[in-house]
Formats: sequence, structure tokens, C-alpha cells
Amino acid sequence: MAQWLLVSATVLVVLGGVLGLQAVRVGHRSRWTLVCMLGAFLCQLGVLWVRGELRGKCPLGDYGEILAFLAWSLVLFYLVVGSTYRLSLLGMFTAPVVVIFQVFALAPGMLESAPEKVHQVDAWGETHAAFSVLSYGSFALGSVAALMFLVLNKKLKDHEFGSGLFKSLPPVRSLVDSVVRLTVLGTGILTVGIFAAFMMERNDSWAHLLAAVGTWGAYLVVLVLHFWRGITPRRLSISVMSVFVLSLLVFAFV
Amino acid sequence: MDIVCVGINHHTAPVEVRERFAVSEGKLGEESVRIRELEGIEEGVVLSTCNRTEYYAAAEDCRTAREQLRMFLQTHAGDELHAEHLYEIERIEAARHVCRVVSGLDSMVLGETEIFGQVKKAYQAALESGSTSRTLNKLFQKAFGVGKKVRTHTGIQEGQTSVGSVAVDLAEKIFGHLRNSRVMVIGAGEMSRTTAQSLLSRGARSIFVTNRSFDRAEELAKELGGQAVRFDDWEGVLKEVDVVISSTGAPHAVMDRSHVEAVRRKRRYRPLFLIDIAVPRDIDPAVGEIEEVYLYDIDALQEIAADAKGRRSEQIAVCERIIDQELAKSGLF
Repeated sequence: MAQWLLVSATVLVVLGGVLGLQAVRVGHRSRWTLVCMLGAFLCQLGVLWVRGELRGKCPLGDYGEILAFLAWSLVLFYLVVGSTYRLSLLGMFTAPVVVIFQVFALAPGMLESAPEKVHQVDAWGETHAAFSVLSYGSFALGSVAALMFLVLNKKLKDHEFGSGLFKSLPPVRSLVDSVVRLTVLGTGILTVGIFAAFMMERNDSWAHLLAAVGTWGAYLVVLVLHFWRGITPRRLSISVMSVFVLSLLVFAFV
Repeated sequence: MDIVCVGINHHTAPVEVRERFAVSEGKLGEESVRIRELEGIEEGVVLSTCNRTEYYAAAEDCRTAREQLRMFLQTHAGDELHAEHLYEIERIEAARHVCRVVSGLDSMVLGETEIFGQVKKAYQAALESGSTSRTLNKLFQKAFGVGKKVRTHTGIQEGQTSVGSVAVDLAEKIFGHLRNSRVMVIGAGEMSRTTAQSLLSRGARSIFVTNRSFDRAEELAKELGGQAVRFDDWEGVLKEVDVVISSTGAPHAVMDRSHVEAVRRKRRYRPLFLIDIAVPRDIDPAVGEIEEVYLYDIDALQEIAADAKGRRSEQIAVCERIIDQELAKSGLF
């Protein structure tokens, strides 16, 4: 059941991405992208509900669930942040990232077929897991906005204006504001996640927590630099994207 | 009933001739009534803009109507009017002409949008004065429908075709709305004035003007509702502004990399849009290598405007096809 819902979500996101791409090519917005993403979001909710029922706790017990949760949080932020502005374009950039996460989640062995059901739940542990993954949705969308800025910046610097992509990209100032806001939001949510990690019962090593603190610290440094002394939009975007990719790589090994 | 159009426009006559035929907006209805009172003319509409004055009439006999309109215009202009200044078109050609005018295909700036409203006002004035009836009502209603279709289904109004408009579009691509943007004009020439006016018309918040002659700076600042800055002090203003328009007559660069480097930290690395419309250039091209700086010189801006003009020209055939198809369906002929 969970797999089929995840497949449906993936198909809808692909459809949303294709519609978004077409809309960008002709230079008009398409609200169908939003409809597809909304459908995908509901399917993702179904996946998480089914897996949550199986586990009897927050569905973050294997890599498949983490990736599905991450994809869900990405679409959640997309719906909240992106719905007011350039729907189809943000969809075009967000959709491929969601598809990648969900395709990996669907790979054999990623979702345990018969996960062990727990009877006692550690609330701090659940809070830590949920808030940490949720923060990554915000960071991922921040990286998407950063990528959009880098594309627009290159086109403005090189004086390339012919494409529909250039016309559909939001202004530089809006993109930079989005990068900053999403990074602030993600860092705030991760702060709660890390606080919960210190409060929960610890059965495993500290490596995971150290990686989370490292990521939090790296984002904090970027934000402090931005608010305290200023940083060029290009460096801000590259930093936000680099921290996101690096932290994903680190979490893959801890 | 046949349709006749007799007129004068920027293709056929210079401004000193066109201005003699101009009809003020408030008198369009009155003028329409006057031509309807001419012998053999049943309906009339008068269109008058800075680039054209055209008399549209519906009549049983085209030839008589043309002669009457020509004589009417002759009495207006006297000896100033020569045969080559006037054009006379009738029936389907006249209908095609009004569709082309409404669609912006006959305008000085191809695809411009203002003409649509001007024709609407002219028709409305004639309608209210009672000088139109079935034929011209049908023609103009059809022309408005065709004009909308042409503008929606083709790229005839896409892109900007003047340096000022291109600069404004780029400013909006960088800053979004310009409500919080500050502008500095270096050099009080005509080009910088029109570009600054375009930015102000889109909401730019405040403007600083600097010039070697402070009197000229004050004059332009007053005209634009801005603040004059002494030429020795413009570097201090650079840290506050988002857009710089430079158009001095200096034989060497006025702004170089060191000027921007000196204020980057104070500007907190905010984007800076530099528009250099001077020849020789006022801004050293090396300034454009700074990460948060977007530098455009006159060639770059003119290239963008020329691209848009080229793209609009490519759309003419598509527009003409739509006009012909719509007129064939209209039942007017």
C-alpha cells in the first residue's frame, strides 16, 4: 500500500514538473503544477500514515521512510512558500529533487516490508527525528531557491535574455530573500530537533548528533555572516547549497 | 454600405504637417458629426493621435465619400496639404487598415499598446455623438476583437524596444518592484533624464543627480523631484543607491573598480545595477566583474532592444494572417 502511494506521489510530481517546464517554455504560469503537487502531498501523507501505523511511531525508522518524509516536507514547504509566487517555476525546480528522493525511497530494501511495531514511544526521540527531517525540507527548498538565483545571476551577467526560463525566474532580490528566510526557518526548526536530541534517551553513538550539530553550526555561520557583515548573494547561495549537499553526504555515512 | 478611410500619418507626412490636422480628444465627437454631415456620408469616426489623423466614413458611394473627405481636409490645411501626404483606402483595405492600427502594426513603435486605447476613445466619442451606425459599429467592434486576439496570440508586444524601457525591465528583474530602490544619475543629459523618468514612473523611491555643472544637476533634480549632489560627492552616495545611470560627456571612465570596491562592505554586498549610456563609456568594464554588480552599457541595452524589435517584426506575418482570417469571418464584405 505504502509503495503504491509513493509511486502515485512520484508520478504526480513528475507530471507537475513537466507541466511546470512547459509553462516556463511558453512563458505563462500553470496552476496545474500546484494541483499535481497538492495531489502528491496527499499521497505522501498516505505513505507516512500507513508507515506510522505499521511502526506505531513517527515513520522515520529506515532510509526509505526518511527519504519519503524529506520529500513530504519539501512539498509541504513548496505549498506554503511557493504557492504565492511563480508556482510553475518553483515546481519545475522542486519537482526533480522530490522525484530523486522518492525514487531512492522506492529502491528495493529501502522501505522495510515488516517493520517492528513499538509499544512505548520516546516523545523527545520522535520530536528530534521529525523536526530534524522537517528542517531538511526547508534547507532543500532554500537550496532550490539558491540554484534559481545562480541560474538567473549567470544569465544577467552574461546578458542572455532570450529564454522563457529567464522571463519566468523571480527577481534577484526575491530569490535572495527566499534563500535567507528558508535558511532561517530550517535553522530554527533544526534547533528544536537538536534540543530534543539532548533530552531523549540515547542508545546509539553520538556521531549522528554531532553531524546534526555540525550542520546547524554551518548554517548558523552563514546566517551570522549574512546578517552581521553581509555576504554577496552568489556566495550566500553557494554556501547554502554546499552545506546542504555536504550534510546529506555526512548523514549517509553516520 | 462601403467603408472609406482618408488620413495622414507618420509614414506620409512630417510632424509640421500632421500637427495642423490634430483634433483634440474633447473635439473628436464633434468632428465625427461634421463629417457625417458631408454629402453622401452616412457614418463617421475621427481618430487623432500624435502620429496620425484618420477619418473613417460609411457611405453608399466610395468615390463621392473620398472626394468629400479630401475637400474637407483641404479646407483644414490650405496650401500645406500635398497629395502625397494623404492616403485614401476603401472597403476591405480600409477594414484591414483599422485592424492593423488597433493591433499596433501601423505604429511608429511596432506593437505599442497605447494606440488600442486611443482608437477606443475615438470610437466612443463618435458613438456618443451619434455619428456611427450599423457599419462602423460593426467594423470597430470587430477591430477591437481582432486587436485583442493579435496581442494575445502573437508576440507582437513582447520585449522592450527602447533603451529606457529595457533598463527598467532589467531593474525589475533584479529588484522586483522598484518601490524601495534608490537611483543615482551621473551626468544630466537627455538620455539619463528619460531613463530616470522611466524608473520613477515604475515607482523608484528616490533619485540623486550629479553633474560637473551643479546648476544643471539642480535643474534636473528639481524636474525629477530628486536631490542634487555635487560632482565631488557622488562616491559617497554610491553606498546608498541600487541603480546608477551614467551619461556624462567625459573622455575617460568616471567610475572604476576601486569606487565600487570601496563601498561594497558598507552596501552589505547588495546588488548594484549600473547603466552606462555614455560614449565613450563612463564605467570601466572591470566593474562588471564584481559579483553583485550588473553592468550594462549602451551596446548591450541597444542589442536587447534590437532583439525585441526583430522578434516583433517576425510576428507581423502571423498578425496579418489573423487579421485576414477574422475579416473573412466577419461578414462585413
